[in-house]
Amino acid sequence: MERVGVFICHCGSNIGAVVDCARVAESVKDYPGVAFSTDYKYMCSEPGQEMIQNAIREHNLNRVVVASCSPRMHEKTFRACVAKAGLNEYMFEMANIREHCSWVHAGRNEEATEKAIDLVKMAISKVCNNEVLMKGHAPVTKRALVVGGGIAGIQCALDIANNGYQVDILERTPSIGGKMSQIDKTFPTIDCSACILTPKMVEASSHPNIKLITFAELEKVDGYVGNFEVTIRSKARSVDMSKCTGCGTCMTKCPGKADDEFNMNLRKRTAIYTPFPQAIPNKPVIDRESCLKFKSRKEGKDVCGVCAKLCPAGAIDYEQQDELFTERYGAIVMATGYEQFDHSIYGEYGYGKYPDVISGLHFERLVNASGPTQGHIVRPSDHKEPKTVVMVKCVGSRDPEHGKSYCSRTCCMYTAKQATMIRDHCPDTKVYVFYMDVRTPGKLYDEFYNRTREEYGVEYIRGRVSKIYQDGETLRVKGEDTLLGRQIEIDADMVILANAMIPNPDSERMAQIVGIGYDKDGWFTESHPKLGPVETHTAGVFLAGACQGPKDIPDSVAQAGAAAVKVCALLSKDQLETEPTVSKVDNKLCSGCGLCVPVCPYKAISLETIQERVAGKTIERQVANINGSLCQGCGACTVTCRSGAANLKHFTNAQILAEVDALCQTIL
Amino acid sequence: MSNAFVYNFDQVQNEMRAMAKELLESGEATMVIGWEKGALPYQSTPVMIRSAEDVDKLIWDAYCQQNLSTYLIDYIYTDEKVAIFAKGCDTRAYNRLIQDNRIKAEKCIVIGVPCPGMKNAREAARLPENAEVPMANACKECRYPNPVVFDKRVGTDVTAWCTERDFSDVEAIEAMPADDKYAFWQSQYTKCIRCYACRNICPACNCTSCIFDQSASGWCSKDINASENQFYGVTRAFHVAGRCIECGQCEMVCPSEVPIMLMNKKFIKDIDSLFGAHEAGLDTNTPAPLSHFSVSDPEEFM
Repeated sequence: MERVGVFICHCGSNIGAVVDCARVAESVKDYPGVAFSTDYKYMCSEPGQEMIQNAIREHNLNRVVVASCSPRMHEKTFRACVAKAGLNEYMFEMANIREHCSWVHAGRNEEATEKAIDLVKMAISKVCNNEVLMKGHAPVTKRALVVGGGIAGIQCALDIANNGYQVDILERTPSIGGKMSQIDKTFPTIDCSACILTPKMVEASSHPNIKLITFAELEKVDGYVGNFEVTIRSKARSVDMSKCTGCGTCMTKCPGKADDEFNMNLRKRTAIYTPFPQAIPNKPVIDRESCLKFKSRKEGKDVCGVCAKLCPAGAIDYEQQDELFTERYGAIVMATGYEQFDHSIYGEYGYGKYPDVISGLHFERLVNASGPTQGHIVRPSDHKEPKTVVMVKCVGSRDPEHGKSYCSRTCCMYTAKQATMIRDHCPDTKVYVFYMDVRTPGKLYDEFYNRTREEYGVEYIRGRVSKIYQDGETLRVKGEDTLLGRQIEIDADMVILANAMIPNPDSERMAQIVGIGYDKDGWFTESHPKLGPVETHTAGVFLAGACQGPKDIPDSVAQAGAAAVKVCALLSKDQLETEPTVSKVDNKLCSGCGLCVPVCPYKAISLETIQERVAGKTIERQVANINGSLCQGCGACTVTCRSGAANLKHFTNAQILAEVDALCQTIL
Repeated sequence: MSNAFVYNFDQVQNEMRAMAKELLESGEATMVIGWEKGALPYQSTPVMIRSAEDVDKLIWDAYCQQNLSTYLIDYIYTDEKVAIFAKGCDTRAYNRLIQDNRIKAEKCIVIGVPCPGMKNAREAARLPENAEVPMANACKECRYPNPVVFDKRVGTDVTAWCTERDFSDVEAIEAMPADDKYAFWQSQYTKCIRCYACRNICPACNCTSCIFDQSASGWCSKDINASENQFYGVTRAFHVAGRCIECGQCEMVCPSEVPIMLMNKKFIKDIDSLFGAHEAGLDTNTPAPLSHFSVSDPEEFM
């Protein structure tokens, strides 16, 4: 016998000012199943919750409906509340009469009240059909995977490792370090990027709880929170890591040459290489695209082999193949970082064809002591020191037409930093910065920007550059000074573009592998923009650094720490509670057609063979079987199943139809 | 449609009988399912033959519409090895049943029969005895008259007489104002007597326990009225969506002449435009468009 208690919340004036809550409570008091009905100002408050618990005891209630806000807000609160009074927490339903009613129908109080009554009746009908459900438990693999070995990934791994948990860093390139290793100095303190990064890299590589998996990629992610099964592709390095001592002899005589991507193609590197001197692991890889041996093999020959001859450890292994291996992890942190926007789409900046129009990251390599020019700021075309430099901000950022609609957040500061560095290195060089706005909301950021103008004499011009073209040796930059309202033209020797940050070009594929969301630009989507900035909608997968959106180093590091805390909170548990609101299959209705198997986004369904007595004979047939730990309760299988064999617990066909019936009865 | 004139039914019929005889005598098949002549000239009905002596019951004429593939489901848990004669549409149904995991290829022998198109039995019943009978509606639009899969075969391939899909009938309904559309379907489903013949004949309707047989499913009552009947019709169209092989059996067997294929074709048209062109049952590898998850599926509502 159902004895439902109905509690209508005013939510202060949020609901009460529009919906006549007392009338709602009164109008459902004789509805089938209802044993008690009342209204109160704040149901979620302590007195409100006590009221529910007392009513359960006094009126012997076995089901509860609270009509208030969205279940996203307080479903947990009220489930815990009824559980405290001895009811199963799934014998509770919430009717959303705030977001679905008072907020959207403000000013139409009569209709809003009618709708609230309908919503409450639907919830009563549903709760009468609810079944007792018990939470399940799943073990936790106490190890985390951090995807991406940039500063965010390194910091996150260090924080997890220092909490005593095992963590693997998966890095696609031959070395950890990421974009920060390419940067020369960091704002606003102008300390050397490598000097603060490399100790972290060393700490990560020597930490007993951290394992580095470099030159490897994410192939597949199966499983679920606490028990991810991750398949990793370890790319063929052509160097046996166990034998290589990192002496570097192999690189000295390598005749193969390729563009040095670490140095933004400003110089060449050998085919067997480590990306930069402080690389970790400091063991080379062979780039098979530019290696003479591998190139000749494609033509049926087999030449060179110099590195193998030189290697004292016999570590060169031309026959190495990509290897796939599977590891189990309890949590995954995505820290896949960013890339630089390609400015070659812009005709006004010369379609990327002028050698002396460079991007911010090019400049970082130019000014770096271990870079292609040993830190001398010179033009890439003729290696002369530029006397006039024009810097252009918002290249690709805040340009919904051709580039990206968002602000890349870091460009204002790195442009200011680079401008001061030019003035430091070449005091005679004039620097002009074209800007749309100057955005410096960070600690000591605005002070830095002011120094750039006032102490370093960098000239800021508010306006856009309309055209850059080569005129002999100089680059003629045409633009507008919108503050003075006049056209200006500057003869520059070099132009530095502050290119936007874009997600790793592979981010969408990665998101699909891991099963997390991404936005229109490819940034990974957090579970809540304010209250869940490092979580994703997939339990057990977290975000750190610029893969979630443009971020500078301090923000990336802070977010990495936040993600690490979430990971540790997860790994600290011996068992995870699993939601019972998962799908189940009624074998006697199931035809075993298996259409629910491919439709399941979580790979939670498989076909199992059962035995059955049919016409006096035991037969074997297949039916769908749902793994309750993998199932996320999305319901895709239930709508694929024609015979209604698959049913989602707590949202069963019968429960939903009861709601529909309740609604239809009030309409008819 | 000229195939019908040069097509020699008798010759193929002889080949069918010989094939059935051989299969039964050798024991390769324990049963052969084909067609025999019914009570009326425009009726050919399914026949199950277990003895080589009975193969002369088998006939092959322009009224062998009925899709035999669905019978295979009934023998999946027996020790029988069943051979069926299968036209182009029957083989597509066979592929679909394999894909739906309802039959096992190793328990079946498919004898492909190229088909010149079947005649419209309903029209034949109405026309004078010797009048020219038009082709069945679904056959007019058939693009796969030859078996798409077979273990053995009889006859020789025919040339498809229809190459383009014709959605003009669907477009005519689409162009109607909403009220008229509703009135049209209302009038059609008022005729429905819920005999479930369309479901029983349909190779896509192959569930162990049909939702319309479950008295407490809650979705649809057993009442026979325009509303419940329409609900039945629309639900069935949804259930076969993406898996319909356009054999047109549903419409052929409907005693109330509800234009069921019109609804099925509307679904096919919509699926084609949303998920790309799909032809159900041409092979067993291509997943049905509504029955698999792809991260690139359109999500214009998100």
